Amino acid sequence: MDIVLRGIVVFIFLFVLVRVMGRRELSSLEPFDLILLIILGDAVQQGLTQDDYSLTGAMLAVGTIAILQVCTSWLNFRLPRLRPLLDGDPIVVVRDGKEIERNLRRERLTSEDLAEAARKQGIGNLDEVAWAVMETSGSISFIKKSDS
Amino acid sequence: MADIPDRIIIKRHLDLEGRRHQIWWRHAIVALLAVFLALGLANVFGQAQSETHADSGPASLQLNAPARLRGGLIFTARFTITAHTDVENALLQLSPGWADGMQINTIEPSPLGEASRNGDLLFTLGHIPAGQKHVLFMGFQVNPTNVGSRPVDVTLYDGGKQLVHLDRTLTVFP
Repeated sequence: MDIVLRGIVVFIFLFVLVRVMGRRELSSLEPFDLILLIILGDAVQQGLTQDDYSLTGAMLAVGTIAILQVCTSWLNFRLPRLRPLLDGDPIVVVRDGKEIERNLRRERLTSEDLAEAARKQGIGNLDEVAWAVMETSGSISFIKKSDS
Repeated sequence: MADIPDRIIIKRHLDLEGRRHQIWWRHAIVALLAVFLALGLANVFGQAQSETHADSGPASLQLNAPARLRGGLIFTARFTITAHTDVENALLQLSPGWADGMQINTIEPSPLGEASRNGDLLFTLGHIPAGQKHVLFMGFQVNPTNVGSRPVDVTLYDGGKQLVHLDRTLTVFP
């Protein structure tokens, strides 16, 4: 019972943490972020199963996380009103080649970050962009102007 | 100007109408997290040693052990008995909270005898000459499921006579 309860607490804690950390951190996976992820996994595991080395314990922990993840995506699918809370909302960061400063600041995105994301999609200049939308996953989608 | 992308609503996704408050929720949760970490730094969740001391005419008793712990932690409790006069047959009585849900890894030096007195642990330490100290170390590990508060009182007797009593509570965080 203890592992299941700890699994629920860890899931909720991580869920809230990821939501408040913002999408900027989610989208990038630099080498340092990768190391942080591994450390995070290790720290969470100790709190989750502690001194339990059993197969049953591991299955309970993983099963709890999996079930909660399924429940979250089911709620996300069935209850559209919960989507902004569970998944977040996209946010427009460029309109007609112009950066929306307020929205960039909200997501802690710099012009350099935006330019880098554009270059990755083969866009050399933001003037070519009609819309840039930061998606709930943290990635940025660019829609080019029709004449470019 | 290109058409607005599907499912993008200017008011909500560009002007952030009805979403302004969301950032404050985010700030509030981050602040809460910072407070939680600050409490951790301030030892609210253990496991720094804390000292409790009691004195009576014939002897004094000092206990050095954490008052707050977390599941799985290893810790040491140090009981220092200072005899002001001869203590013929020192007996140390610990409430069951010391052993309930705990692993007792070691007791050093080993007591002369161990017994149960009305559910409490009773250690016979023997003769402590006047002016001398007897230091007893106990090593523990907290059972991860052992969560909550419980009394961990300590009483020192000389034979049947109570000399010193320490009132103490131990809190275990999950």
